[in-house]
Amino acid sequence: MALSREIYQALEAIVGKRNISENIGVLETYRNIPAQGSGHYGPSEHWTPLPQAVILPKTAEEIKNIFGICNKYGIEFKASTTFWSAMGYIGGDNAIQMDLRRMKSVEIDVKNMCAVVEPFAIGATVQAEAMKVGLNLNIPGVGCSASTLANFSSWIAFGPNSISMGQGSENILGMEWVLPNGEVMRTGSLGSGDGWFCGEGPGPSQRGLVRGIFGNAGSTGVCTKMAVRLHPWPGPAKLPTYGDAPSYKTDLGDNFKCYTLCYPSWEAWARSIQYFYECDVVYSGHRQFNMFGRDLKAFMLKIITNPDGQLADLETLVQDPELQKQNASMKFDYQIIIAGYTKRDMEYKEKAVDYILEQTGGWKNEMMLEKDMHDYALLYLTRMGHKNLNFVMCGAYEGTFGLSGNVWKAIQVAEEAAARKKYWEQNYTHIAATGGESAMGSLSGIGGGGATGWEFFVNFDAYDKESIRGTSKFIDGNQEIHNKYAFGPDFCRWNSDVRHMNGYNYTQEEHDSMFVKAPQPWVYAYQYKIREAVNPNNLCGTYLRTLNPDKIETK
Amino acid sequence: MALIDYRPMMERCSTCAGCKFIPFEKITSLRFAENCPSIGYYDFMTYSARGRFQLSQSLLDGRAVLDDTITEAIHSCTSCGYCDTGCKITRYNLEVLEHNIEQKAYAVENGKMLEGQKPVMENLAKENSMIPGTKKANRMDWAKDLNMKDLFKEKGEVAFFAGCKYSYDPKLQKVAQSAVKLLQGAGVDLGTLGAADNCCTGRAHQMGFFKEFEKGATTNLKAFQAAGVKTIITPCSDCYHAFKRQYAKLGMDIEVLHVVEYVDRLIQEGKIKLTKSVPMTVTYHDPCHLGRLGEAYVPWEGREKKIYNQIHTWEPKRPRYNGIYGIYDAPRNILKAIPGVNLVEMERIREYSWCCGAGGGCSESNPEFSAWTAGERVTEANATGADAMVTACPWCKDNFVNAVDEDGKKIEVLDIIELVQQAM
Repeated sequence: MALSREIYQALEAIVGKRNISENIGVLETYRNIPAQGSGHYGPSEHWTPLPQAVILPKTAEEIKNIFGICNKYGIEFKASTTFWSAMGYIGGDNAIQMDLRRMKSVEIDVKNMCAVVEPFAIGATVQAEAMKVGLNLNIPGVGCSASTLANFSSWIAFGPNSISMGQGSENILGMEWVLPNGEVMRTGSLGSGDGWFCGEGPGPSQRGLVRGIFGNAGSTGVCTKMAVRLHPWPGPAKLPTYGDAPSYKTDLGDNFKCYTLCYPSWEAWARSIQYFYECDVVYSGHRQFNMFGRDLKAFMLKIITNPDGQLADLETLVQDPELQKQNASMKFDYQIIIAGYTKRDMEYKEKAVDYILEQTGGWKNEMMLEKDMHDYALLYLTRMGHKNLNFVMCGAYEGTFGLSGNVWKAIQVAEEAAARKKYWEQNYTHIAATGGESAMGSLSGIGGGGATGWEFFVNFDAYDKESIRGTSKFIDGNQEIHNKYAFGPDFCRWNSDVRHMNGYNYTQEEHDSMFVKAPQPWVYAYQYKIREAVNPNNLCGTYLRTLNPDKIETK
Repeated sequence: MALIDYRPMMERCSTCAGCKFIPFEKITSLRFAENCPSIGYYDFMTYSARGRFQLSQSLLDGRAVLDDTITEAIHSCTSCGYCDTGCKITRYNLEVLEHNIEQKAYAVENGKMLEGQKPVMENLAKENSMIPGTKKANRMDWAKDLNMKDLFKEKGEVAFFAGCKYSYDPKLQKVAQSAVKLLQGAGVDLGTLGAADNCCTGRAHQMGFFKEFEKGATTNLKAFQAAGVKTIITPCSDCYHAFKRQYAKLGMDIEVLHVVEYVDRLIQEGKIKLTKSVPMTVTYHDPCHLGRLGEAYVPWEGREKKIYNQIHTWEPKRPRYNGIYGIYDAPRNILKAIPGVNLVEMERIREYSWCCGAGGGCSESNPEFSAWTAGERVTEANATGADAMVTACPWCKDNFVNAVDEDGKKIEVLDIIELVQQAM
């Protein structure tokens, strides 16, 4: 159903002819097949619906005017920036897609230690500008190729730096938000004309309102500008790199160290993390390279740090006894970066790491201490630029057994989950056989420590339909383990209640029937009320989980 | 391969954005972080490598059609190959540039080309030159007084191949003449193909005109072989890539050198002495087809093989062109050897260099896009504070000469041979 000429021309008048298209070929490039990315609702072969137009606004004013047209004619809309996840795509037939790539500014406010960013400012560019003045930011685990604003406003956004800097929601200061009804909300200090430096006031603090439960995936309008907290960066103004592609490395001098810390058991692993929460010495902490799987990580590291390396080398490398030894050494591991602000500070942090290892029976992996490996891992975790190695094995992955919670709770499930995945690897061919356990994620998903955030990477082939379907079956079965430990929905199914597997939105009736059974249905009822207030025509898809309050009364 | 053969790659692309930015680890500013001229200018996802993958799926499935908008989108790619290099930072089994060019060939096969491409291809067919208005009869005029062997008539081991741009453009002819004199002065016995000297047709390949490329390449290859040529030296980066990579696929077994490689070698051997000071701060622009696309072709025939259930590999191991073995050091060595020259680098260099905008025939078919792309580079060059931008490709030089930066300022553009000559 094409847009009427009246509507299309009205939209065109807002952004200009060059910045809107309804060409079928152009529109087709704004669809998503969740199997080809990460949609957090499991692998699916279905394309998301075809938008009726793609529009590229440049300013909040233009977005506001677009919303005016959409409300007038009842047209659904969704905005996205990098288009990595299914979350950013429309979910209905009578809908337009907004592409915010023309909005990418980054302004650094050194005095107030914040960056005011537009939607298409990705983590790497924000970090590069921040480092120039000795500052840094939380780059989420998804990597620096993702939009800082979209991550912070619309999802969870924890990553290696979260242990010292906090997750997305902890880093939001003032925001400029165009609500679906066309109103422009300015939160925190921005709302009272005092600038961007504070999220809570003296103006209105509405962070929770626009973010929803844990980020609304773009379903309460468009955040057009946001101030994010910046944190001290004791490194150089320009990230120095060396080495040949793809194995770039960095040498940041003696005040930075990146260690792969290993332990004899999950218990020791968890205890060490708890100690790190308490002693506050970790700048970045991530269990990163286990994403390649317990059986393959050391061998994969050899491949990706060699400019001439290829995946075909795996079969030879796994025969190498020394690498086998290193791989075994990293069974229960994670990576940390410690950064010293002074020589003495660095010495203290080194001592603290050694002491924790001593207390827990842990050790530093030898291979990862080699200069090349050290400098590779240091750059990897500092910039998170190689994060798309997530896809290197098969072209697609999903995160299962996802968990954001206490480390002790996490290790309860680890081996049982590993065994189930290994069984599937050995008895079916749908997923890559990487060794069962492939848990990776942030040492802490919240600032200062306290809750880990991890997922088991499951790698499958987006081109192979049997692989997609088999992976989906495997993930469905994993829910039993989640239920057993009361972990709620599996991480990769978190969004299965906000978009059908065929790519389409849910109806309110469908949501009502789901959320009325939720343990705290009133949370969804309040979100319904919020949506009624800011999005009365319900035009932004169904990622905002809502429950008609009348249904609770009925119940 | 046909477009459909790229289907697995289309569906294995994961929308990671690596094709749109310089390697994320290398980003040092917001201003020069991106690296796809096509989406940089046109903004729609359709113009990125990811979009092109998705568009191909839709074309093959019969949803999208080759209308004017899509035909323009397909051909609005400079074939600079950065998307391919960027992809290979984290992916080991996608051939992004090959796909983009195959997509162009798909459009051409279906009769879809741009108006600006027609005079170029007509001139190639009629006059064996990619520059409209030029005549075959005048192709060797530039070499009249250079005392080179005519390899159309006699045997010779070293052929100097100027390429269309150096052969016809009066300003650039002087550079080619200087290069020849430089090599002759160092004792190199050069010849040209004379009457058999034709366009290398490398740009036709970049534009998706595969039949025209193969016809030209086959003819030229026969001429080189008949003359007994063992080494081809060219000052043109497009020709270099064509010979080194595309002709090699057709079975050519002749050493291919860009002039900068030979001059660097002669400087190191002491056969060229740079004695005069050239007090100048310069920045060097890596031509795409000499840099990341300048890697040698490695023959391969094999098939996909899955290991560990689903991990894709190739049997036997497939050559991986990730751009790092292109020609980057030779031109820099030359610049460093010139007394007085101070080399300052731009942010986007070597395998992640920004394109000049002339590639893929875009300087003729999409002049506004091409000029914008060149302007972006001039902005970056001017940001270094350099007095001049030096390059080693006539297409790059020509595109930069008329370009202005975001403030409307120009920069002096020099071919590296011009600087060498000033220093002798």
